[in-house]
Amino acid sequence: MLKNRLIFTLLYNNGSYILSRNFRVQTVGNLDWLKEYYNFNAIAFSIDELVVLNVERGKKNNENFSKHLIQLSKNCFLPISAGGGIHSLEDAYKLLNSGADKLVVNTPIIEQPNLVSLLAKTFGSQCVIASIDCKKDQDNYYVYTKNGIKNTGLIMEEVLKKAEKIGAGEIYLTSIDRDGTGQGYDIDLIKRASNLTKLPIIASGGVGKYEHFVDCMKNGYATATATANIYNFIVDGLIKARQYIQKQGIELARWDYNLQNFNNYFKNH
Amino acid sequence: MIVIIDYKMGNIKSLENALDFLGCKSCVTNKAEIILSADKIILPGVGAFDLAMKNLQKLNLIETLNQAVFEENIPILGICLGMQILADTGEENGPTDGLGWINGSVRHFSFSDSKLRIPHVGFNSIRFENKSPNLFNGLANGADFYFVHSYHMICERDSDVSSWTNYGEKFVSSVQKGNIFGVQFHPEKSQSNGLTILKNFISFHGGDIKC
Repeated sequence: MLKNRLIFTLLYNNGSYILSRNFRVQTVGNLDWLKEYYNFNAIAFSIDELVVLNVERGKKNNENFSKHLIQLSKNCFLPISAGGGIHSLEDAYKLLNSGADKLVVNTPIIEQPNLVSLLAKTFGSQCVIASIDCKKDQDNYYVYTKNGIKNTGLIMEEVLKKAEKIGAGEIYLTSIDRDGTGQGYDIDLIKRASNLTKLPIIASGGVGKYEHFVDCMKNGYATATATANIYNFIVDGLIKARQYIQKQGIELARWDYNLQNFNNYFKNH
Repeated sequence: MIVIIDYKMGNIKSLENALDFLGCKSCVTNKAEIILSADKIILPGVGAFDLAMKNLQKLNLIETLNQAVFEENIPILGICLGMQILADTGEENGPTDGLGWINGSVRHFSFSDSKLRIPHVGFNSIRFENKSPNLFNGLANGADFYFVHSYHMICERDSDVSSWTNYGEKFVSSVQKGNIFGVQFHPEKSQSNGLTILKNFISFHGGDIKC
């Protein structure tokens, strides 16, 4: 059977990794910091996918971002999605050639729909993830672009349908209101989106404790749950999260070895 | 040396990373003389069936690959779209002829269960047959692999199928026929389970494989 997915999202900003709260960012550390405080070999074997987003404000430095991606992806044998700053086919090629398997697009869904279609035609729909950032106002969820700054005036339902129509293969759905608050996912938002599309949905925004993953996986509206909370899951947090989820009876993928054990196993066989 | 076929169909960096990690020399190329002297060939691929065949044609690779597989008897592993184009035909963006090495066709998923999402994305388990040589050596039956696809292969003969997976229906998740191997999932993206498969493939000796 198809398993739930536990996704870790790294937010990249000018050579550093950051923590976001309601899309306001706070720098946490650079790549060395990440390697010191996160045993990346171990982390990479406790998640199902890695998402890396360039959240630089203004004009993004794709060159440096790609260099980071190459470093990050070296010993990660899991799917990696990257985005933030894709404005041309060349930008997309650059990320794919730096270790990304899937592309994440946000602002282009509204401002460059033809580019999104071109990406889907060139690399296949399964390669294109539409990231939709939502803020609740009364009974509607409004979609924001440009790192959550610009209110498009469009409601989530319209943008979701549009993303599907122009060729997206997955939806990365973020609640700006819940982002970084630790209050749990906005299940109502995910449910509404899920009822409207057949595309797989990645839930994002609000995870503060392990139970939040379980709550979201159990109701089945999303097929994947993501967290970008770099502090909550420091050191062995993601490994423990995975064990906790499995103990609650939710099926996650299993593999027998981490990289170190894998080498030892093959030396002995 | 392992040759990874370069025909401009998606990311092959991760495949190179995986072979590097396994301590295996690889070369990304579309040059006939290098392909024909390979120990093993990997045919990767992400994207659409019709475009993949068009690119192979443009680069004059179809004849080279036929020669490598049927005259030089070089083992080949198709991954994802690289497995799908081993079939006779595909229907993505209109009917297109594949390489025709595995009898069958490639079709879009269609489900009566409206809850099932397309594409099929994530880790799913496979039930494999113990073929010789065994691509799944060292793995437990039911091991999980990463899939991301909307199309799947339908084989004319069950004997060409080396594993099955369930998603709405039972579908072919890998094929094996003589020196031709294909996997619908991504071994280079499937943690240690996938590395095991790549390790098995690169470790096959000439004598293991009966063509």
